[in-house]
Amino acid sequence: MFKYRAEITKGEEIRYISHLDYAALIERAFCRSKLPVNYSEGFNPRMKMAFASALAVGVTSDAEYMDFELVKPLCQPEVFERLREALPPGVELLRLCTLDGKHKALMAEVDLAKYDIFVPLAGTFLEAQRAVQDFNAVREFTYERVTPKKKREIEVKQYMKLPITVSSREDGLFMTMAIIIKPSGSIKPGELLRVLRESFGMPVDEQQALIYRRALWGQGKPLIELIEE
Amino acid sequence: MVKLEPKILQAVEKPARYTGHEWNAVIKEHACVDCTFALALPDVYEVGMSNLGLKILYEVLNQRSDTAAERVYAPWTDMEEKMREAHLPLFSLETFTEIGKFDFLGFSLQYEMIYTNVLNMLDLSGIPVWAAERDENMPFIVGGGPCVYNTEPIAAFFDLFIIGEGEEVISELVDVFIHWKTAGRPGGRRGFLLRAAKLDGIYVPSFYEVHYDEAGQFSSIAPLEEVARPVIYKRVIKDMDTVRFTEKPVVPYLDIVHNRIMLELFRGCSRGCRFCQAGISYRPVRERTQERLKELSRTLVDATGYNEMSLTSLSSADYSCLSGLVDELLHDFHEEKVSFSLPSLRIDSFSIELAHKMQQVRKSGLTFAPEAGTQRLRDVINKGVTEENLLTAVSAAYRQGWKSVKLYFMLGLPTETDEDIIGIAHLAKKVVDLYTAIKGRRGVKVTISVACFVPKPFTPFQWVGQNSQEEFRRKQQLLKENIRDKAIQFNYHDARVSFLEGVIARGDRRLDHVIYEAWKAGARFDGWTDQFHYEFWMSAFAKCGIEPEKYNQRERSLTEPLPWEHTTPGVNKEFLLREYHHALKEESTEDCRHGKCSACGVCPNLGVRVVDWGDADV
Repeated sequence: MFKYRAEITKGEEIRYISHLDYAALIERAFCRSKLPVNYSEGFNPRMKMAFASALAVGVTSDAEYMDFELVKPLCQPEVFERLREALPPGVELLRLCTLDGKHKALMAEVDLAKYDIFVPLAGTFLEAQRAVQDFNAVREFTYERVTPKKKREIEVKQYMKLPITVSSREDGLFMTMAIIIKPSGSIKPGELLRVLRESFGMPVDEQQALIYRRALWGQGKPLIELIEE
Repeated sequence: MVKLEPKILQAVEKPARYTGHEWNAVIKEHACVDCTFALALPDVYEVGMSNLGLKILYEVLNQRSDTAAERVYAPWTDMEEKMREAHLPLFSLETFTEIGKFDFLGFSLQYEMIYTNVLNMLDLSGIPVWAAERDENMPFIVGGGPCVYNTEPIAAFFDLFIIGEGEEVISELVDVFIHWKTAGRPGGRRGFLLRAAKLDGIYVPSFYEVHYDEAGQFSSIAPLEEVARPVIYKRVIKDMDTVRFTEKPVVPYLDIVHNRIMLELFRGCSRGCRFCQAGISYRPVRERTQERLKELSRTLVDATGYNEMSLTSLSSADYSCLSGLVDELLHDFHEEKVSFSLPSLRIDSFSIELAHKMQQVRKSGLTFAPEAGTQRLRDVINKGVTEENLLTAVSAAYRQGWKSVKLYFMLGLPTETDEDIIGIAHLAKKVVDLYTAIKGRRGVKVTISVACFVPKPFTPFQWVGQNSQEEFRRKQQLLKENIRDKAIQFNYHDARVSFLEGVIARGDRRLDHVIYEAWKAGARFDGWTDQFHYEFWMSAFAKCGIEPEKYNQRERSLTEPLPWEHTTPGVNKEFLLREYHHALKEESTEDCRHGKCSACGVCPNLGVRVVDWGDADV
C-alpha cells in the first residue's frame, strides 16, 4: 500500500460541523476524486483514513492532518490535484507528502495544539488580563468535565505548554493557547475559557468565542514535517 | 444579506443546518438574473434536504441562466427563538438573502401537519400569511407537492398552486414572470396572476369563489375571472427519459434523513390499493429505461461522492427491468464500493432475492406492508396479497439470514371489524412462529407499525367517515391485548394527530382560520411528537366555531359536491365510485400496468400513457 499524509483546513464555511461529519465529507471527496483509495477488509469495508485529533463543532483550523492509503503509487502532484479539486468549500489541501517506511499513527505523534481565540469582552480588559495572569500563576487547577455520560475531574495545568496570552482587539480579546495533547487526554480551549470565566472571573461568554486551531505539532514541528526527514 | 453572529449559531442545536456552503450548492449573483426563486420545505433541514422533488426543481431552475433558485427550510424552534430575538429575517442557504426579497417562494407541501410551519416561515420572512394582504414588492407564494389535491384549507395563504409534476410548468411560470417583469409589471400582482392562470396546471385560488348551502355544506366553487378554469388538471411528464432529473444534488455536511443518492426508477403505481392517494395522484406508471438509469447513476455517483444509492419509486420492486438493472449496477460500482437499497419491498420471493443480492452484508431488516390483518379486509382495500404470499416471502427472508421484520398495518379501514384487528395480532404471531419453525430457535424481532386510517381526497374511500379518536384508541387497546408474544413489538400512531390529519385532508376554505389560529397559539412542527400540542388546535376550532368532526367523521353522500374536485389528478369520479362499490363487495381490481385497463380516466384525460419497458420487450 502507498501511504500519504495531508495537511488540510477546516474553514469558516464549515465551522459548525462535527468531527464525524468532517471525516464523512473527506470520504465523499475521495470518492469524487476517483483516487484508488484503500479500504479495510471485512464485511463492512471502510476507507483507510486516520486523523490526528478531533476538532470540535465551532472551531476552524489551518492544521488538520490525515493519513490515507492508495492501492496504486500515484505521484504526489497528481494525488494533490485530484484531491484538491474534489474538496468542498471550507477544506483546502495545503500540503501532501508520501509516507515511506514505518510511521507512528497520527494520533500517537501529536503532542501539542496551538489555538488563537477571539472572544467579545463583557467587562474591562484589566479584569480579563488579571484573570489570565492568575490562571497562569496557579500551579494546579482541577476542572470537572461533565459529559452526558459521566463526570470526571481533570487537572488542567498539566496540559499548558505555555502561559495563555491575552491582548485587546477591537471590542474583544485576542488570546493564544498552547495545549499539550497526551496519550491519556487533553483539554479543549473552550473548556479553558470556561475555567477562566467561572473560577478566575474573566468577563467573557465562552459561547461567543471564535476558536481557531493554528497548529498541531509533534516533537516540536507540524505533523507533516515529521516525515520529511 | 443576513449575517449570523456566532452567539446565535453557537447557542443552537446543529448550527450547520443554517450555514450552507454545501457541495453542489448553486450560487448566483442576484443582480445578474431576471428571476429569483426560493424553494422551501416547511420542515427542518434534515427532512427538507431529503426531498427529491425539490432537488429536481432546484436543478431545473438553476439550469436557466436567467434564474437563481435557492433553498430554505424551517428553522428549528431554538433557532426561531434566536432569530425572533435578534430580529433576523428568514434567509436562503446559498446567498443568505432575505426570503422576502425573492420573486417567488415555493413550498413543497408533503402532508397536512406541516401547514403551520408554512405560516411560520412566511411570518419569519416578514410576509403577511394571508395572500390578500401582500403588497407589490413581496414574493409570489407558490404551493406544490402531494397536498395540492385538496388545497382549499390553505388556499388563502397562497398566491398560486402548481398542480401535479412541476419540472415543466415551473419553468413556464418563470417565463411568464420574466415577460411580465420586462413589460413593466402591467396590472401589478394581479396582472401576473392573470397571466399565470392561463398556464395548464396553475391554480390561482383568489380567482374563485366558494358557495355553501343553507345547511352550511360546500355546494360549489366558481371562477371569478375569465382565465380561471373550472377544473385544473395536474401536469404530468410524458417521457421520463428526456425530462431533467437531478444530476448534481446538493450534498449536505450534516447527516440527513435520506443521506444517499435517490435514483427514481419510475413514477406512478397502479396496483390500485383503495386507501392510497399516491396510487391515484401519480398515475400513470411511467418508467425510465434501464439505459437512462445506468447513465444517471454514474453521473450521480461522480457528482456527489456518495457510496449509497436508493432505488426509489412508489413500489420499486415493480420496475420491469429491476433484476437486470441491479445486476448492472452491482457490477459497475463494485470497485467503488457503492451499496444499493430498495426502500419498498413487494411481498414475494423475487423481492427477497433482490434484497439479498443487494445487501450482501448487513441484513438490516425487511419491511412489508400487508396493511390489514385478514384476507377479507385486504380484499376490501384491493391489497392483492395473501397470507401465503407474506409467509412465503418471510420464509425466504429468514433463510437468507434476516432476523428482523417490520410489518405495516392500518386501523379503521372501511368495513373493519374486531376480527380484522385481532387478525393483525395473529398474522404477526405466525410470522414469529415461522422463524422458530425454520431456524429451530427463537430470536426474531417482528415490529408491527399500525397507523390510523385517514380517508383522502381522490381515493375510492373519499366519502367514508373516519373512526373517532375513542374508536381508534379502543382498537389500539384491543390489538395490544391480543399480542402476547414478546418477539412482537407494537408501535401505533397518536390518534389525535390522525384525527387532525383527517379533518384537514378533506377540509374546505373555512379551515384556513383554524390553521391560522392554531399557528397563532404556537402550533408548529405538528408532525413532531415532542412539538405537537393538541390543545392549540382544539382551542382554534372552538374560536372559529367549527366542529372538526363534520369534516372527518361524517359519512359523505355519494352525490354531494366535494370541495377539492377542481384541482384533480385526472381520475374520473365514476371510477372512484366503482372502486368503492367493489370494495364493499370485496372484489379485486387488476393492475392496469399488466392487466386490463380499469378505466380510471387518467390517461385519456391527461393525454398520457403507461410506460412499462417490460411490456415493450414482448
